[in-house]
Amino acid sequence: MDPATERALVERCRAGDDDAFRELVDLYKNLVFALIARTVQDRGRAEDLAQDVFLRVHKGLPYFRGEARLSTWIYRIVANVCVQLPTRPRAVSLDDDRTRVQPAATDRQFGDLELRDRLEKAIARLPANYRLLVAAHYLDGVQYEELADALQLPLGTLKTQLYRAKQQLRRLLETDLK
Amino acid sequence: MFCDEALDAVERIAAGDLIADGRIAEHLNTCPGCAAALESARRVERLLRQRAVPHVSPQFTTSTLGKVRRARWRSDQWLDAGFNLGIVAIVVAMASAVWMLFNRSGLAAVSNDAVGLFGSGLSTFASRVAPSLPLYGAAAAILATALGIWWWAEREA
Repeated sequence: MDPATERALVERCRAGDDDAFRELVDLYKNLVFALIARTVQDRGRAEDLAQDVFLRVHKGLPYFRGEARLSTWIYRIVANVCVQLPTRPRAVSLDDDRTRVQPAATDRQFGDLELRDRLEKAIARLPANYRLLVAAHYLDGVQYEELADALQLPLGTLKTQLYRAKQQLRRLLETDLK
Repeated sequence: MFCDEALDAVERIAAGDLIADGRIAEHLNTCPGCAAALESARRVERLLRQRAVPHVSPQFTTSTLGKVRRARWRSDQWLDAGFNLGIVAIVVAMASAVWMLFNRSGLAAVSNDAVGLFGSGLSTFASRVAPSLPLYGAAAAILATALGIWWWAEREA
């Protein structure tokens, strides 16, 4: 979205236009939800947190000065929500598409699913800021620069933290597999 | 010592951000531990890239807007309560000010006399009207009956 359209949308939202806010939610809901769902790994909780993000956006819009991009500001809110989450191993929901095994699944498919399940559990054991980085980096539409801006980190530091997160993830998986 | 250096680089190599130079490549070819770490890092990278993108439910926007409306209503309620409390405080302050003004200026005594006069007038009026009350009651009952009959006749027509 170009800056002028974004400014116009923010102004309409500030003026109390409900349709404009609906437009804003529709524009960012997939990204916000995907980021949170990958960080908390619980669909219901992720939806609640994503709604909280938009609630904060609605409350904060009158104070949004427009110095940063709207998306950067929203990522910052998502980051604040995600970083406040506790780190603990979580059960992966049985309703989740990622863990649903089809009746005719081959051994290889089953092996992949098992590995993915291990990965999700390992990710759940990462510190919240690492979880968010891993979630955001592999999502289309999230730029490194915007993420660094949202987390108020230099680009180099962000990349270093991402390598450390992956290193920790590799070690957790290796320990798990031994 | 070189293993530490190589292990630090495996994530960058696996992500494609770093090309293994001669020394690192040579070490990775000869050190089974570091080669296994690189293989493991590549597997993690592949799994992370293949990670499913969660999709939001179709009713997300509607329920979010509902939540926003409820939050706005709650904050409006607080605003209304604050406004009402403010009005009550102003009325109490004004009543206190009037009361103080009456006390200081001696008007309170005059107003007491006025209240007394009004009370005695009211009791005189009540004592004069009391003997005729059954008459007024009967007249009111006749009037009500007449109006009832008229209303009933009109409804039937």
